[in-house]
Amino acid sequence: MTSWKDTAPLLTERLQLRPPVPGDCDAALAFFQSDRSRTIGGPSTLGRSWRIFAELIGHWDLRGFGMWVVTARGEDRALGMVGPWFPGDWPEAEIGWMIWDDACEGMGIACEAAIAARHDALTRLGWASAVSYINPTNFRSIRLAERLGARHDPCAAFPPGKDACLVYRHPAPEGRP
Amino acid sequence: MMIKTERLMLRMPSNDDWPAYRDYRLSPRSTAPGEDIGMVWTLFAALFGHWTLRGFGRFIATLNGRAIGHFGPYRPEGHPEGELTWTLWDAGLEGKGYAFEATQATRDHVFGPLGWTTSISYIDPVNRRSQALASRLGAVRDPLAACPYDGFQVWRHGKGIVA
Repeated sequence: MTSWKDTAPLLTERLQLRPPVPGDCDAALAFFQSDRSRTIGGPSTLGRSWRIFAELIGHWDLRGFGMWVVTARGEDRALGMVGPWFPGDWPEAEIGWMIWDDACEGMGIACEAAIAARHDALTRLGWASAVSYINPTNFRSIRLAERLGARHDPCAAFPPGKDACLVYRHPAPEGRP
Repeated sequence: MMIKTERLMLRMPSNDDWPAYRDYRLSPRSTAPGEDIGMVWTLFAALFGHWTLRGFGRFIATLNGRAIGHFGPYRPEGHPEGELTWTLWDAGLEGKGYAFEATQATRDHVFGPLGWTTSISYIDPVNRRSQALASRLGAVRDPLAACPYDGFQVWRHGKGIVA
């Protein structure tokens, strides 16, 4: 059995999406402790930030897939994490995104990465559908969901404790209703 | 990575450990009682992530194939030093020396292959059974050590201490 650690990266025009490695930890901890993480429950203490990153990695162990670390093509520095997220108590699977570095905002990185990660989830992983749970005050994220063709789904179930979020549903895979 | 003791097998966590781990975490025996299932899953996933991030982590002890608890080194960022932990999930298995047997093995593991020179355990002052186990393992109270949990006792294990 091959490990999730050997999952082939996804390549886009400008980006590489690869599984997380321990070397990404410093960038992750800086993000989760910063005010940039406020729309996903942060900022967190150092200890909690480490546990969140350990969970992001453990998700790969448990599911065989998880959120990808996004880098520029040909580079290895983590710019954020984007992709499939399906913890144990959620009603359905999500495509999530977080850009860790301020300097990478406004360059379309999350959009480019999310398109690739969503395509992979709907094809290789065989998902029938995908949603994104978004904090209603996170206007940038809402705009991104709409740019990705996702639409607000007022009928969708919420993950426990997230009933204040907006659920955006992504278009179904081609050829499926 | 596996460690065999007289009665137990200690191995890395696996997906199949989820139901027993979940039931323990949702029971009053949990070290963090009252957590919802989402947080329990987070903690379960973090058990795996710890192995990837550190190259070591807590083992699942099995008795005749049945997972009965998690044991061993815990070193999250933000803690002042590495901890030796023990957690027996089922009260029905107390009093048989399983936690002692598993922890002797994980202590040898951290002081041997992992190369630790010292280790502590953080123990809730109301958890008398755990204090008795620390004492039986030869650990002693370290009142000067920093502790990340308010009000908890710090017990220090010594390399070479033979219980």
